Amino acid sequence: MSREQGNPIKRILAVRGIGQVLTVTVGLIVLYVVFGIMNPVFFSSRNISNLLRQIAPIILIGIGQSYVLITGNIDLSIGSVVGMSCMISATMMTKGANPWVAVIVTLICCLAVGLANGLLVSFAKLPPFIATLGTMTIARGIAQIANNNYNTDSIGEAAQGFRDFFYYGKTFGLFNTIWIAAVLWFIFNFILTRTRSGRHIYAIGSNVEAARLSGVNVISATNKAYMVSAFVSGVVGLITSATSGMGTMDAGNSYELYAVAASVIGGISTLGGQGLLFGTVIGASIWGVLQNGLQFAGAPVAIRNIVIGVIVVVSVLLDVIVRSGKGLRRKRGASAV
Amino acid sequence: MSDSQYSVQMRNITKTFPGVRALDDVSFTLRPGEVMALLGENGAGKSTLMKILSGVYTRDSGEILLFGTSIEGDLNPRKAQALGVSMIHQELNMCSHLTVAQNIFLGKELTRGSLLSEREMNQQAKDVLDSLQIDIDPTMVLGSLAVSKQQMVEIAKALQSKAKILIMDEPTSALTSVEITQLFTLIRKLRSTGCSIVYISHRLEELQHIVDRVTIMRDGKFITEQPFSSLTMNQIISYMVGREIKEKFPRIPANRGKLTLSIRNLNAGRMVRDISLDLYQGEILGIAGLMGAGRTETTRALFGVDPKESGDIVLEGKAVTITCPEDAIEAGLVLVPEDRKRDGLCIKLSVRENIGLPNLDILCNKAGIINRKRERTMVKKAVQDLGVKLPTSEVDASSLSGGNQQKVVVGKWLARDSKVVIFDEPTRGIDVAAKVEIYHLMNELKQNGIAVMFVSSEMPEILGVSDRILVMCDGRITGELDRSEATQEKIMEYATRFEHKLENQN
Repeated sequence: MSREQGNPIKRILAVRGIGQVLTVTVGLIVLYVVFGIMNPVFFSSRNISNLLRQIAPIILIGIGQSYVLITGNIDLSIGSVVGMSCMISATMMTKGANPWVAVIVTLICCLAVGLANGLLVSFAKLPPFIATLGTMTIARGIAQIANNNYNTDSIGEAAQGFRDFFYYGKTFGLFNTIWIAAVLWFIFNFILTRTRSGRHIYAIGSNVEAARLSGVNVISATNKAYMVSAFVSGVVGLITSATSGMGTMDAGNSYELYAVAASVIGGISTLGGQGLLFGTVIGASIWGVLQNGLQFAGAPVAIRNIVIGVIVVVSVLLDVIVRSGKGLRRKRGASAV
Repeated sequence: MSDSQYSVQMRNITKTFPGVRALDDVSFTLRPGEVMALLGENGAGKSTLMKILSGVYTRDSGEILLFGTSIEGDLNPRKAQALGVSMIHQELNMCSHLTVAQNIFLGKELTRGSLLSEREMNQQAKDVLDSLQIDIDPTMVLGSLAVSKQQMVEIAKALQSKAKILIMDEPTSALTSVEITQLFTLIRKLRSTGCSIVYISHRLEELQHIVDRVTIMRDGKFITEQPFSSLTMNQIISYMVGREIKEKFPRIPANRGKLTLSIRNLNAGRMVRDISLDLYQGEILGIAGLMGAGRTETTRALFGVDPKESGDIVLEGKAVTITCPEDAIEAGLVLVPEDRKRDGLCIKLSVRENIGLPNLDILCNKAGIINRKRERTMVKKAVQDLGVKLPTSEVDASSLSGGNQQKVVVGKWLARDSKVVIFDEPTRGIDVAAKVEIYHLMNELKQNGIAVMFVSSEMPEILGVSDRILVMCDGRITGELDRSEATQEKIMEYATRFEHKLENQN
């Protein structure tokens, strides 16, 4: 161990689950280079900047879904919470509310959905698929009811600061959206890897009974994961309303599935207990590069969907194959030792 | 071919896993109609050898002959089964939602046209069960049967597919003594019909009842093969561990100190009724009883895993309320649970994370951030103190052998200062040397003035290690024995003091 501490590269390689992350990182680089060769504009700094801004929301919802997947559950309400956040914030702003008050109220509403998800799953012990299917529908309903079943009008001049903060503005040459994703990623990655709550989230995903017997409060850990998921979804909703300058009721449609895709491409196990948040960034980036690159290559939306679907399945399939090979070897090793 | 003297001959088998030579030039023979005990410590390579025979693993080199015919190429499970080799796994491999007959015919369902003929399968399943004199209705749902019955169904399933060689891996670990007797009757019956049986077990006391010959392995090597009758128990143990274990039950005198824990009238369901007990500093209190006596349930209720109906717990003079494990840990009472895979370990997490998990309150600052240096120090100390064998503490807990996993489960609880430590079956399924290490550990705790509660189904270890013994039966404490007066017979007598309510009512 002391040797590992001395050598940073070895230390990184010693992190469990880094293998798949490195593999998909290589995949990401290859994809990027291939698209760049096909169309050199792809390498332009302007496109890179836009690309990163496109990826940022996917990273955010990916973080949320990853948290929940690591606890061994799933959150289907992400997309609806994005829509809900978009509609609540935009409606408040069109009705003249201070944008920052709107932001806070919106995020509180989103956290409430997260708490509801957590309690339904951990306290009421509903299957997470069903519980979040319910809240997904409810949250979408709230998004629709927010402005009486209409998309909102423009959120107006008064909200320009809000729009700049979440989408149009730049800080140190990078779009704010990218900064938001980066800062939140650092915070949530730190919580997941370095704090008690994070350890609890991994533990309940690995073996909920052993975690409970080790004094882990399962209900609270589950709630935290779902609330993180709802929080980042809320932020993405705000980004969405800042982007279009209005509230759209079907904003965030199928985002929960994009979030699953980003997570699993990045090596988060859908069975819980395993995965690194860094992988989610790579997974989301692959997603973004594919979308953007195929668009540059002139592929129609239908083709893009098909390609991305295939990538999701193949990446998980590869992971299953690698893992079962490794698992078998480890199992054999275990019985041998 | 079939008149060969041996049903199985394995010659010079080697098998290497990355970093480990699991089997090194091992040979093994088995005759028709005999029960062969395959013995060795955890990690000796017994399971690996048998998994090669049953086709789960492939050998690197060496020769396998079944009924005198050399097996060309690699075996796979299907091929091995077709040749008559069946393995009854430690963890039963069956579908608990299906019926007994459906399980017996799983994968080889009888059909008429393309429709299942349930009636025929039920009938044939009944025939097989009857031939073994097992009284189970084939239409019962498997999951509704006791573990022992499920095991018998698995044996019946093997025989239905014409198994001639049965491998049983720790078949008795989850059985009560009555059920063990039933199983042994079954094994003897199989033997008389010419079946060869490989019997893997850590419970050496059992062997005398059924075993004809013994093969002993150590560290992946073949050590000896002898008729059981020519060996003494001590010889077997010394072959297994490669050294004489002098003190199988090391006992250290310690002075019983002040009263630490007292429980009054604890009730929690049918299996925990009116439990009252006192536990003192520096003593090991053994909790004996038959399987299903309510011992595990008592420890779980005490630790706050299962809800309590009533009862008072006083710890060091102060009444404490324990509604969840967190409360218990905070109060200074910890439980090393019985089933390490289910309750003890997060197998996908590293050893470091597992040991850290219950101690995060000590390892974190006020903001909940883990002090990694302190964590490493704690883990290093725990690993050293317990002699856990591992490459680094970053490996997955699932990669460890059973004995080492158990040490991790124990280690994670001993890394903190507690007042009361409850061990529930801490030596189940681990080898003799590891058992002795666990006993030493309990003694060390006792010397440090900690109150130890020790639940075990193995009479010799309860007698060998405890200072005082409580016996439970049917959810009640039926007797208390001082170590000086305790004998197996007395414990058995208390352990079978069932209430005769039902019979009186009838």
